[in-house]
Amino acid sequence: MSNKHSVLLKEDKCEGCTNCVKNCPTKAIRVHQGKATIKEDLCIDCAECIRTCQYHAKYAETDDLEKLKNFDYNIALLAPSFYGQFDRKLNPEKIKKAVYKLGFDEVWDVAYAAEAISKKTKQFLTKNNGTYISSSCPVIVRLISLLYPELLDNIVPFNSPVDLMADYVDKKVDKNKINNYSIFFITPCPAKVTAIKNPLGRENSNLTGAIAVEKIYPKIMNIIKNNDLKNVKLKQKYQPFLGISWGQSGGENDILNNEGVIETLSVSGIHNIKKLLDELTRGNLKGIRYLELVACPTGCVGGIFNVSNPYQAKYNIKSNTRSKKDFIEQNLEDYNFKLDEKIKEIGAEKLDDDFIKAMDKLEKLEQLIESLPGLDCAACGAPDCETFAEDVVNGLAKKSDCIFVLRKEIGDLADQLSLLTHELPPVMNDKDTKKNNNSNE
Amino acid sequence: MKKKKIIDSEIKKRDFASGGEVSSKLKSLLRKLGVNNKDIRRTSIITYELEMNLIIHSEGGKLKAFIDTEEIIIVSDDNGPGIKDIDRAFEPGYSTATDDIRELGFGAGMGLNNVKRFSNDIEVESKPGEYTKLKAIITIEK
Repeated sequence: MSNKHSVLLKEDKCEGCTNCVKNCPTKAIRVHQGKATIKEDLCIDCAECIRTCQYHAKYAETDDLEKLKNFDYNIALLAPSFYGQFDRKLNPEKIKKAVYKLGFDEVWDVAYAAEAISKKTKQFLTKNNGTYISSSCPVIVRLISLLYPELLDNIVPFNSPVDLMADYVDKKVDKNKINNYSIFFITPCPAKVTAIKNPLGRENSNLTGAIAVEKIYPKIMNIIKNNDLKNVKLKQKYQPFLGISWGQSGGENDILNNEGVIETLSVSGIHNIKKLLDELTRGNLKGIRYLELVACPTGCVGGIFNVSNPYQAKYNIKSNTRSKKDFIEQNLEDYNFKLDEKIKEIGAEKLDDDFIKAMDKLEKLEQLIESLPGLDCAACGAPDCETFAEDVVNGLAKKSDCIFVLRKEIGDLADQLSLLTHELPPVMNDKDTKKNNNSNE
Repeated sequence: MKKKKIIDSEIKKRDFASGGEVSSKLKSLLRKLGVNNKDIRRTSIITYELEMNLIIHSEGGKLKAFIDTEEIIIVSDDNGPGIKDIDRAFEPGYSTATDDIRELGFGAGMGLNNVKRFSNDIEVESKPGEYTKLKAIITIEK
């Protein structure tokens, strides 16, 4: 088990096929000795490898409902995307009540905090010039700190909705009466689990853990079918429909547009987002003030822990929230938006701390790349020739791990052998050889 | 320390499909060398502008980058058509782009102005009808 990440490998299931290696947006996976390994410092828990692996060798770890027993008092936070898992006829109130019945003492909507952030973002954009990026998707924040650190200042310096909500709820707990309590997030994605274990931009998280949507979904459906939920009392009075629309890509964007902030763009899917960030780095995005970037295609409803397919789930949320235009009433002062610290660069790409040494390595790297076939076949276990060359220069792979290099080396060796067989020592002549051959018969 | 050449790329006229490749490649090299983020950002912007200039306005040319511990130098060297009035070329909004280029969303005339804005120093040499050679110098912040 990793204490940093939630996306992990089941070694016995891995066939060593390199599909995940090639699709990983941060080039964090290598296959060695027929098994994949994930490089901890490069993984951003986007779950692309889980989506790609046809052998289901990749998985992500979350907490079980069993854990609630360890606490006297349990609080659940629901993601906006959670509502996409249900038919539009099921209203949010009923769903929330069913979550209480799982054994929670309080159930809160993260969508409340999402609405608060929308309001706060609008204020922020009026006070600051430039292009800003939403901080809500933890995969994107980690992607930027790893591969686009030059854009770290473009991230809106706010806590994500789930952290904001966890802080809010934690403050409300009466610690004199209750000391052994938990706050669990019902999560659509592994990245939120990582954000609890290893947060960016804050000391620690107020969340105790995270439970995957798929782990509770069948139970919820059962409860809704078989229980009378009339007597369950909800903590939050209103249904935050605008906040719920954050659960699908474009939701955050739409709210800002309704509020008159129209220079916004929503992009989802991590490979698309990388291309967009390339353009932003080059200064090639004109006029855009705000970017809603969500790593999963179709947004949080596309998170791998969800049960409903992402398209149906997106539709469910859209049809549930389409006619809603009003924020719920709440006070922005109740939230602590500000991050504890600046989001730091992960900085894993440097060849050496010393510039001169890095320059030397770069030169070796370029020469090595020249000598490789450039087919990016991944048979060496690295995603492409360039990354392979980097591994070689860093002492993590051998040049002969490339089958083309190996074939050439064997070929050269065979040629040399064949040449040598024709070279006779000066004391012998052809007759001697014949004689020898005959005596062998 | 002698400056090392880390980029030497041929850029073809109107090759929009390759636009941005040099800038991305240079960014990746600078990250490997551990150059700070601020200077990487401005180098990316400068390189992209020069790269697109070569694609849009020139008859094709070369883009090169050199580096040592002190500075990054980007050199754009093209085969024409040359700049008639260099001072005016640096004015914001000044553009000689044809309509078909403008229709593609380019040619707003901010290019050279941006290059100058993000560089520490810039040198231009041009002979109308023959060539333009532009050198942008980026001092690396320690």
